[in-house]
Amino acid sequence: MLHKLWPVLATITLILSACAGSTSQPDAISSIENENSLSGKLIIYSGRSEPLIQPVMTAFQTKYPQLEVLLKSGSNSQMANTLLEEKANPQADVFITTEVFTAYALSREGIFLPYEPVGYQNLPDAYKAEDASWVGLTQRMRVIMYNTDLVSPDELPASLFALTDPKWKGQIAAAGSTNASMQAQIASMIQLVGQDQTEAWLNGLIENEVTFFGGHSDVRKAVGAGELKLGLVNHYYYYLQLAEGSNVGIIYPDQAPGEMGIISNATAAAIIKGSKNLNAARAFIDFLVSEEGQEIFAEGNYEYPLLTGVALHPDLEPIVGLNMANIELAQVVNHFEATFDLIDMANLP
Amino acid sequence: MLKTEALRSNRRRHTTSTPKIAYLAGMIALFAVIPVIYILIRALTGDPELWQRIIQTRLIKLFSNTLLLLLAVTTGTTLLGVSMAWLTERTDVPGRKIFRWLLALPLAIPPYVGAIIHLALLRPRGGLISQWLEELNIPSTFLPNPTGFWGAAFVLIIFSYPYVFLLSAAAFRSLNATYGEAARMLGRTPWQTFWQVTIPSIRPGITAGALLVSLDILAEYGTVALLRFETFSSAIFVQLAGRYDRSAASILSGVLILLALVILYGEFRIQGQAQFTQIGSQWRPAALIHLGKRRIWGFLALFFTVLVSFIIPVGLLVFWSTQGILDHQTFSGMQIGSKGLVSFIFNSVWSSGFAAILAVLFSIPIAIYVVRYPGKISRLFSRLSQVGYAIPGVVVALSLVMLVNRFLPFLYATSLVVVMAYVVRYIPQAVRSSESAMRQLSPSLEEASRLLKRNAFQTFVQVTLPLILPGLLAGSALVFLSSLKELPATLLLRPAGFETLAVRVWIWSEEGFYFQAAPAALLLVVIAIIPLFFLLRRESIFKQ
Amino acid sequence: MKLEIEQLSKRFTGNQYPAVDNITFSMQTHEILCFVGPSGCGKTTTLRLIAGLERPDQGIIRLDQRIISDMHTFVPPEKRNIGMVFQDHALFPHLSVFDNVAFGLQGLRKAEKKDRVSGLLELVGVEALAKRFPHVLSGGERQRVALARALAPEPALLLMDEPFSSLDAHLRLEVREQIRNILKASQSTVIFVTHDQEEALFMGDRLAVFNQGKLEQIGLPETIFHDSGSRFVAAFMGDSDFVRGTSVPAGFHTELGLLEQQNDYSPGTAVEIAIRADDIDFQLNQQGNGKIINRFFRGAFNFYRVELDSGAIVHVFKLHTEIYQPGERVLTYFNAGHPLKIFTL
Repeated sequence: MLHKLWPVLATITLILSACAGSTSQPDAISSIENENSLSGKLIIYSGRSEPLIQPVMTAFQTKYPQLEVLLKSGSNSQMANTLLEEKANPQADVFITTEVFTAYALSREGIFLPYEPVGYQNLPDAYKAEDASWVGLTQRMRVIMYNTDLVSPDELPASLFALTDPKWKGQIAAAGSTNASMQAQIASMIQLVGQDQTEAWLNGLIENEVTFFGGHSDVRKAVGAGELKLGLVNHYYYYLQLAEGSNVGIIYPDQAPGEMGIISNATAAAIIKGSKNLNAARAFIDFLVSEEGQEIFAEGNYEYPLLTGVALHPDLEPIVGLNMANIELAQVVNHFEATFDLIDMANLP
Repeated sequence: MLKTEALRSNRRRHTTSTPKIAYLAGMIALFAVIPVIYILIRALTGDPELWQRIIQTRLIKLFSNTLLLLLAVTTGTTLLGVSMAWLTERTDVPGRKIFRWLLALPLAIPPYVGAIIHLALLRPRGGLISQWLEELNIPSTFLPNPTGFWGAAFVLIIFSYPYVFLLSAAAFRSLNATYGEAARMLGRTPWQTFWQVTIPSIRPGITAGALLVSLDILAEYGTVALLRFETFSSAIFVQLAGRYDRSAASILSGVLILLALVILYGEFRIQGQAQFTQIGSQWRPAALIHLGKRRIWGFLALFFTVLVSFIIPVGLLVFWSTQGILDHQTFSGMQIGSKGLVSFIFNSVWSSGFAAILAVLFSIPIAIYVVRYPGKISRLFSRLSQVGYAIPGVVVALSLVMLVNRFLPFLYATSLVVVMAYVVRYIPQAVRSSESAMRQLSPSLEEASRLLKRNAFQTFVQVTLPLILPGLLAGSALVFLSSLKELPATLLLRPAGFETLAVRVWIWSEEGFYFQAAPAALLLVVIAIIPLFFLLRRESIFKQ
Repeated sequence: MKLEIEQLSKRFTGNQYPAVDNITFSMQTHEILCFVGPSGCGKTTTLRLIAGLERPDQGIIRLDQRIISDMHTFVPPEKRNIGMVFQDHALFPHLSVFDNVAFGLQGLRKAEKKDRVSGLLELVGVEALAKRFPHVLSGGERQRVALARALAPEPALLLMDEPFSSLDAHLRLEVREQIRNILKASQSTVIFVTHDQEEALFMGDRLAVFNQGKLEQIGLPETIFHDSGSRFVAAFMGDSDFVRGTSVPAGFHTELGLLEQQNDYSPGTAVEIAIRADDIDFQLNQQGNGKIINRFFRGAFNFYRVELDSGAIVHVFKLHTEIYQPGERVLTYFNAGHPLKIFTL
């Protein structure tokens, strides 16, 4: 007797799917490159922490009020997974990742549509895809931050490997295994110091009862509040915490000659193959690597802009003069499987 | 002589032909059970090497963690829930009528919101309490670590005990005075009577409540993730969010589902027994126990429970919300793109509301079939449709991502997938409400209508529907409430730009923006109180 | 014939024995036929088969010469023009008394409907309750509203399934008299189901006695009572006890002595004789054939339960003045004055 209700249900379903933000309707791609004509939806998948990407999104939105900018943020690998899952049925227009390895891996899977944004030639080659399928946005370093009330300058750890020293037992904060920066760091370490030493380091962290948080915001707050003494973070989290008035300091690790150097990485962006609003996607990438976009990252987030000529935040330590680790992108990507194996073996939370 | 019809219960009869409603019920049961089957198949066909590695590295730890938490929380909720029920139902403690309401209200607070508040208050050094203590120059080192096993157990007990409270209060209420009186006449002291008569009589109610709590604990993601105590649910989320390969997530999900199915099976067995404390026509409430001077202790116990589980969390949310709304920068930060609070409310309400309507519509054929055509098949369908109790949100999300993208690509990445997840996960609540409403409806009413010249459909519309409507509404209120609070499946399945209150609360709190998260959390609680109020009013303990 | 039933059978899945086993009978217009039998005997199932609430496995049901159920036809209940009063009355709780009664009056104009409902409410004597809802009515009022509702569409046949079972004993006597008068006044054709033999004798123009899915006997109340067709009918309808006997030329030899009665059985046939409490008597006698087990005081009578030496139990009426103690030996003997019913073993 209920079968008579089915047509009604089906209708309701259709109506609701139509108004529930169905993204499957193609938006007309205008062939005229008139910036102000951008409209429809721009769907951004972001593996970066939401507050770090919000300002640039808001600026872009203000520029194109006709455009509806929609964001789905999650962990880097969650978004990468989603993109792989959606390969045959793409939903997003642009992907922003917090580290280049994911971009590299997805590019190999044919997820991205190559695009050379305006000013492409002014970006460093080290952070560009060979086929222009993705482009680096900003650079950042893995550093140790500490609470200056609790740690005196003479006892500071000078190396990442010093974090396994039992004297820091139970006093270190770090991001957990779902965090892409952490994953990338481990993959980089495998390339730099080998798998065995990396595994030993991870086990050392576990033995040292490091507190692993879901993200770096928690890490910086814990160190800022003095809940924990040391935190393993990306450099800008130190500055963000400093800006909140906490007594924190920064350590650039592994600087001595012969040591591995600072592990750095870059955020990156790419256009998804099958994007339904290509013009908007291109405009967004253009904006991200434009002077305006780069300044937002530099000013608000304390990141190192990749576009030559954009000024660093005055508080930031220039890269020149720091001992940077020599990371081979193509090689590191191949270490990702080993990275996850190590994470599982070490039972990294 | 009685053999022929002895097996037949009063009026419920088998007919030989399969009714049309059976096919509809079957389809719905299939819809509810496909995600589970899919995950189980994925798990069982997983790479044996991976299985071995997971068994070696993860399984024992996850099992012991999960079971330990389960044990602690069910024990805690049972102790707390039953004592609160006993105080409000069986003693003359002052204010017990008000306390009945207050003790049920924590159901409107999602445990992860509780966990956020718990952390904000108790974090060593960073927490509000430790800060106050520092200002007063009192060392805060004596404060317990808010995270880990004890933190998670505490938060989950505080926000799950109302299930046990409500079920055992109802059981206390329905307990006829004559049982206790009979025991006293047979020479038992009041204390012996309590343990030998009262507790055994309400045991089915308590057990049912505890088992439902267990299923909730298995499914809980937000709390354990925030308090960093790894259980199956959070480990699966980590696998899903942190790895490129879903096999490990599928395997862990398979194991988790099996564990949950065992508990669900136990719960099904208990259900039948839970009915032996029904209020009959000769029912007379048991006399209240006079606590005398101990009343004050009873009152304090009630007050302290309500303080911790409702007043403090809501008070803090109100405080933060005002701070957040007054601060211009925080307030403008509540916008995500072009979407603000209003849009989050709208998304939360329509997705939960739509899920509630669908779940109840789907539950009707099941309820009609199982109640009017009792038998092995109809009972199987009913139970299959209730399997959602045993699939945590993360697992629903995992299977729907894979299933929908393969078989219903046009639905993929729409908010309807989120709604679908709610329906799969919470249709059991609708099925139970609809079934109990149908059971209370005498079949003779429908038969009378047929004999008064209405066909089956007219009978459904004119007689059945108006009479079971209150039950259906209760079911939809329950599904609405649960969907509103749902977190992991929403996080994983939502399309870009689809922000609900729960999602915003979670993302903002993860970043530590409590002032920003507070208004959303407060709204979530306030909206949840509406269906909760409607549901509670139907409970026998709130009727005088 | 108003209603004709031929070889009707129904077995519920999962049950070994049929609930209704090959039943055949017919009934006249304006007749009140009473189905009577112990619970589970198939009387209610038969009623529901006639109503169309169950599907028969075999058999034919004909109402007013029209087949409403056979191997090929199954007229759904709403198209049978049959009314029913349910055991629990089944008044729709969401409708007022008026709307309940009007429920079956589809297609009538409003004024007509109103007249008809008022007429019916008056007929059953509850016209003042039209605006009330069922939950505020008393048992007897509900009973009458249920009857009015069933009569409203002027059904060809009215079925009543133990309609008085939910009423208190004293109310039942009062209501059943009123109801019978209403049924007769409205010239309804009625099948009335009860498990109470006394109620059956009161209500039915004819009785149909059911046992284990079979129709044991159908006939006038007097015939059923005095001339029971089977041992079961005698026991169930006639409150009979049984003593064993053997056929002899002069009658039947029993432990109560010789029953002199004409007999067509060949000598030596083992039989049972149905006896009621007024068919036998006893005297105190140490050499007697039984002893008193119990005495029940029944006002005008003493009702004695006597165990014969064979172990058989019989009941005996005595005047209220004749009081004997349990345990006393008695000599029990026939004292009927009319032929007793004999059944072969």
